[in-house]
Amino acid sequence: MKGSSLIIGWTEDTGRLGAQSIDSLERNLGFRTFAEIEPVGFFPLGGITVEDDVAQFPVTRFLWSPDSKLLLLCSASPKSEWYRFLNLLLDIAVRYGGIREVFTIGGMPAIVAHTVPREVYLIPNSEGMEESLQGNTLSDDLNYETPEGQRPTLNSFLLWVAKRRGINGAGLWASIPFYLGSVEDAAACKRTLEFFNKRYGLGMDVGELDERISRQNGLLSELRKDSTKADTCIQRVESNLSLSDEEFEELAVEVAEYLKGFDDDIR
Amino acid sequence: MGIKYFSEPSLRKPTMIASWPGIGNIGVLAVDTFRQMVMAEAFAEIEPWDFFYPKQVIIRHGRLEDITFPSNTFYFKKTAKKDLIFFVGEEQPSELGREYAEGRKAYQVAELVVEVARKYDCERIYTSGAAVAPVHHTARPRVWAVPNMASLLDEVKRYPNTIRMSDVEERGGEGSITGLNGLLLGVARKHGLEAVCFMGEIPVYLQGLSLSYPKASKSVLEVIGKVLGLSLMMEPISRLAARSEREIESLYNAFPPEIRDQLDKLKYLGHTTPAPSEPGPITEDDKKQILEEIDKFFKNKDDKED
Repeated sequence: MKGSSLIIGWTEDTGRLGAQSIDSLERNLGFRTFAEIEPVGFFPLGGITVEDDVAQFPVTRFLWSPDSKLLLLCSASPKSEWYRFLNLLLDIAVRYGGIREVFTIGGMPAIVAHTVPREVYLIPNSEGMEESLQGNTLSDDLNYETPEGQRPTLNSFLLWVAKRRGINGAGLWASIPFYLGSVEDAAACKRTLEFFNKRYGLGMDVGELDERISRQNGLLSELRKDSTKADTCIQRVESNLSLSDEEFEELAVEVAEYLKGFDDDIR
Repeated sequence: MGIKYFSEPSLRKPTMIASWPGIGNIGVLAVDTFRQMVMAEAFAEIEPWDFFYPKQVIIRHGRLEDITFPSNTFYFKKTAKKDLIFFVGEEQPSELGREYAEGRKAYQVAELVVEVARKYDCERIYTSGAAVAPVHHTARPRVWAVPNMASLLDEVKRYPNTIRMSDVEERGGEGSITGLNGLLLGVARKHGLEAVCFMGEIPVYLQGLSLSYPKASKSVLEVIGKVLGLSLMMEPISRLAARSEREIESLYNAFPPEIRDQLDKLKYLGHTTPAPSEPGPITEDDKKQILEEIDKFFKNKDDKED
């Protein structure tokens, strides 16, 4: 492959956006794994973690499809040697995909309700990339510096490394209602895939996501009927009214617990 | 991976003074205060990306402009008496969520610092950190000194307000120095360079709190000034120490009385204040109980905050 584009999603992401988006592309467009990065040196291997009763293990997979000019990467976020890891993944993408640009996918927790369309921002890492994104939803007026006590995302680090190597890139930040941060946000995934569909002419049917969005919204309506507290909080978010720290946390926990009970139904 | 030089100062047998953050930020505060005091000039830095996760992303007008990393900077100052090199690390290159550097990265960073020391023909390196001790915050912190060669022991004994590990009850001259403030001693020794670590005492009950402890930094700075034969302006750090002591005092007064009673016994433990007839000398059992009570107190406090 020459002149391909790399799309990256991380398994730990707000609204599970990265992994969900890569998974959709993989299933719909017939991508398959062609390389993996061994976890040694990048992840703690003193044992495994268990999540939802299932043993977890860090995986870094590159995917390709003979019918596409895209390379995909779905990976757990490394816990050490970040710079070496990011360079290694770009090395692989350059060597096997001759990549000319890279996109990172990241969910961004926002104080918005699930009843409004998700905002998607594109943050290019170069002037060239900015020009190539003209006409898309750009956050051209965004000025931001990581606040004291917080750290940049791995996506920002990756885009910086790509820039140092002369690779054009952009971060795709989708706003996720904060109370959907720990569950899949199908609406944000749909917006993300629509962007790639348009940019690369993928012709991908995102209809299945409409069904998931509709099921999730239906469940949230049920929750609002059952729980006055959740309903009141969501109403206030819808009306741009503030919530206390406690209300934030309680709503996030309540929604996550409720939706997790219907995980299979949503999927 | 390496060192980026902004300039190449001409220095004559300089002394290097290095530190990274640690418990109470005692060492780094002492060294950085000293650096600022003499207005030392930056001349090199360790290229950070191999060792650190970025600190900040900067986005301007919608475009990712840059990323910044924790700084690890070398400074120099030529004085009439002595040429000095300072190294101040903003963070230790920890891995997998550990607080202190260890393993390959820590070793590489220590090697890079020693590389600069050797390049400029440094005659000695001083590092600084914290010594967690059963002492009271109202006492003047002593400075534990650990040289990296036995030949330096006699000299170290003569430093003011300084003790060695063997002077500390039950230690028998043994202990450990966690992280790069300690590791640098070993790497310097490997290269045949003399080095001494100065550790300011911090009360055991303050070690788990994310508070700086400038009172101990001041003790360290006093020793370093004496050792180098330099007269240092202590007012700024004295002011900082006084302010911090007031804050610690109000925290202390918030402790439950039974814990405070136990902690008060530390005032009479050891070197500073003779024990009055009441409450009686502290025993080993008391010491153990004090630490257990403090642990319990902070655990309960954390649970409530959670």
